[in-house]
Amino acid sequence: MITLAHYIILGAILFAIGIFGVITRRNAIGILMSLELIFNAVNINMVAFSRFLTPEGAYGELFTIFIITVAAAESVLGLAIILAIYRKRQVLNADEMNLMKW
Amino acid sequence: MDTISMLGLITAALPILAFIIIVAFTKKYRLTSALVSITAVAISFSLSCYMLYQQIIAPGLHSFNIPWMYIGSLELNMGVMINQLTTIMLFVVTLVSMLVQIYSMGYMHDDEGFSKFFSFLSLFTFSMLGIVISNNLMQIYIFWELVGVCSYLLIGFWYTKPEASDAAKKAFIVNRVGDFGFLLGILLLTFRAGTFDFIKVIAFVQSGAIEPGMMTIIALLLFCGAVGKSAQFPLHVWLPDAMEGPTPVSALIHAATMVAAGVFMVARLYAIFSMSQDAMHVIAYIGGFTSIFAATIALVQKDIKRILAFSTLSQLGYMILALGAGGYTAGMFHLTTHAFFKALLFLGAGSVIHAVHTNDIWQTGGLHKKMPITSITMLIATLAIAGIFPLAGFWSKDEILVTLHDSGNTLLYYTAIITAFMTAFYMFRLYIVTFLGEQGHHSEHAHESPLTMTIPLMILAVFSIFAGLVGIPGQEINISKFIFFSESAGSHAESMNMGIAVTSSIVALSGIALAFIVYFFKFIKAESLKKISGPIYTLLENKYYIDEIYMFFIKNVFFVITEALKWFDRNVVDGAVNLVAFLTRWGGNKLRRTTTGSVQTYALVIFSGMIIAIIAFAIYDPEALKLLGRP
Amino acid sequence: MVELILFYAFAGVIIFSAMLMVLSRNIFHSALFLAVTLLGVAALFAMMGSFFIAGIQVLLYIGAVVVLTIFVINLTKQVIGQDAPQVNEHVIPAIITSLLAACLIILAVLKTDWGTRIAQSVAQTELTDNTALIGRQLLTNFVIPFEVVSVLLLAALIGAIAIVSRDKEAEK
Repeated sequence: MITLAHYIILGAILFAIGIFGVITRRNAIGILMSLELIFNAVNINMVAFSRFLTPEGAYGELFTIFIITVAAAESVLGLAIILAIYRKRQVLNADEMNLMKW
Repeated sequence: MDTISMLGLITAALPILAFIIIVAFTKKYRLTSALVSITAVAISFSLSCYMLYQQIIAPGLHSFNIPWMYIGSLELNMGVMINQLTTIMLFVVTLVSMLVQIYSMGYMHDDEGFSKFFSFLSLFTFSMLGIVISNNLMQIYIFWELVGVCSYLLIGFWYTKPEASDAAKKAFIVNRVGDFGFLLGILLLTFRAGTFDFIKVIAFVQSGAIEPGMMTIIALLLFCGAVGKSAQFPLHVWLPDAMEGPTPVSALIHAATMVAAGVFMVARLYAIFSMSQDAMHVIAYIGGFTSIFAATIALVQKDIKRILAFSTLSQLGYMILALGAGGYTAGMFHLTTHAFFKALLFLGAGSVIHAVHTNDIWQTGGLHKKMPITSITMLIATLAIAGIFPLAGFWSKDEILVTLHDSGNTLLYYTAIITAFMTAFYMFRLYIVTFLGEQGHHSEHAHESPLTMTIPLMILAVFSIFAGLVGIPGQEINISKFIFFSESAGSHAESMNMGIAVTSSIVALSGIALAFIVYFFKFIKAESLKKISGPIYTLLENKYYIDEIYMFFIKNVFFVITEALKWFDRNVVDGAVNLVAFLTRWGGNKLRRTTTGSVQTYALVIFSGMIIAIIAFAIYDPEALKLLGRP
Repeated sequence: MVELILFYAFAGVIIFSAMLMVLSRNIFHSALFLAVTLLGVAALFAMMGSFFIAGIQVLLYIGAVVVLTIFVINLTKQVIGQDAPQVNEHVIPAIITSLLAACLIILAVLKTDWGTRIAQSVAQTELTDNTALIGRQLLTNFVIPFEVVSVLLLAALIGAIAIVSRDKEAEK
């Protein structure tokens, strides 16, 4: 029997991996992809909660749709920014994008 | 609010109106400014006359209160209180003020600050009237400070002269010392009585609700205010220096009105002072000491205005002495007559200075022929202050002497007698040297002053002659009946005490005779007197070195303390502030390095911070980790 | 039982490919592993009966986002085949932080008493398709967020074009 806890724990693991990626990937595109992992972790939670707790309204699933949409918008913009930076400065590594320091 | 108190309010309000008009509109038009000011004070004067008349035919207390603010249960009011005492003061203040303003039109004629001068005079008149009509302690204190400010402004009127601006500062600072005590007294009294209102405070005090020791402290603190304003002994140093101001100012403020405010205040709060015999003794001794102390200094001064200033000190001492000895009526009576003849003396001196352009009496002389009106009016005033029958000074001085005699304090009585002798002597020294005798080299081109200046002299001379008549004992209209207050009936003679009257006359006449012997007939050379007295003369000439002693004290004690405080402020207080600034800068400089510009470092810090926060929260309350919350 | 095996299989795929995605030295490989992860998540959605969400996941995430990412990787050519380390100096703190995060969530889940609500719900709705319900909700109760999100999407599109389009001034 698969319980809600299974899904949430899976989401937590995926979330942790996403965070690890966000913090450690040098490549800016890699950071964006790690962010997608975090979104997916949240989506798993959302759908699981929806199915197990409020199936009558499917609220979690509705929110998942919005999250996916916003995530798409975010990755579009993020990739655009990375592309623009790359054109100007020929860098992709986040630790080299440090103009905003002291 | 009845008619009389309303009139009192208008009387006080007119001069401030004049002040506003002059400052706002007529500053450029000299004559208009003067006329505005004089008109205002003239109307005030006529109102005062009316109120005085009303009080004579129907004595009574008229007052009203306007609530101003409430502080907890403490009520702050502004109000007017008119009784016999008030109307006399109103009359004196408005009369002298009016005459001085008329006089100033001549005296200040060529001065650049003509309009400004009149605006200040109006402001002063307003403040002084404010003191007189006050019905509570807070209000009297406010106006008390206002007259201090006016005094400061007017002493320093010729502020380009360093002596004048120094004298103004000195007057202000010395007055502050007294005012501080006054404020403490007011606050202490209000703290106990719970109200500022004169009538209520007096009723509270008379009910005996304040223990005697506290009562003495309160009375002495209140008296500090009078010591400062009326220039009594320890704080007298500002008044002689205040003579740097224009002479009409000296006449108005530093002879007739403001310095009398201290006396008036003591008289107004007489019921409070009389509750403490110890305080009354202190007051009497301070007054007596000041009177003889200032008289001795006046014996040897050369500057005409300084002689008059020390004479003023001496006479104020007389009034305080009378009050301290229980002679409330005598003190107020002397205040009134003194206001007339001292204002006259100052205005006469101003007329002389106007003519000869020097203050040194030894550089003048023989002015009688050149300036007959000034000379005659001055003679009248001199006789009056010397206490010659039947001029004003005789009656009021006699009243004080009677009071002292009846109080049984022989020391103070003889002090007053000796002071009277010295007064007669130095006043005639002044008169003889200035108006009689050979011409000094400054008096050649002297000429009589214009009418605007001589008319006030004549009017004041009339008052100096006749003002005393209201004080003749035993008659129907009598000042002592009029402002009779809380004295015991015994201390107040119904008929003249012939013995004392004769004594004082003999003393005054012998003083005058001595002055003639030394300075007119020159049987005894003034120079030889100077040689005989030797060091005493030098001591007197230097005013007992009081100023020097104060300066020594300030330099050696006060400055040391202030240096220590300065060091403390510079190093400890500022040091603490600088340390905070330094730490902030240093810390900022170090923390600046954390702004690495690396997004991932920020992300790491944010996440780990969040995790730490959650862990801390979970340790504090493990139940908080449950996702669905508590049922 | 079959369910359980399927769940663990998909979970294994997801975690494994996610790890590979994060650790891979080649960014292009990372993108491919991301696609695998997302596919696994879509399978899980389907297992829970949310077929519509699973479809969106495949269409939008794999079909659009991952493809777009690969495009960008290709546009920034130099990275393919690069062997330089792809992780920075924060590895150890990052491991600690992410482990702690996972542990905290798991602890919270295990501590929570889910009670009776779950048992009932699952019994009622197991594996029933709710696409119709989602459609109704989107066009009735959630119509305003739905429109707002579409405007946001449009804005993001325009913004992306504005950011990426070459500066005409600069070209001259």
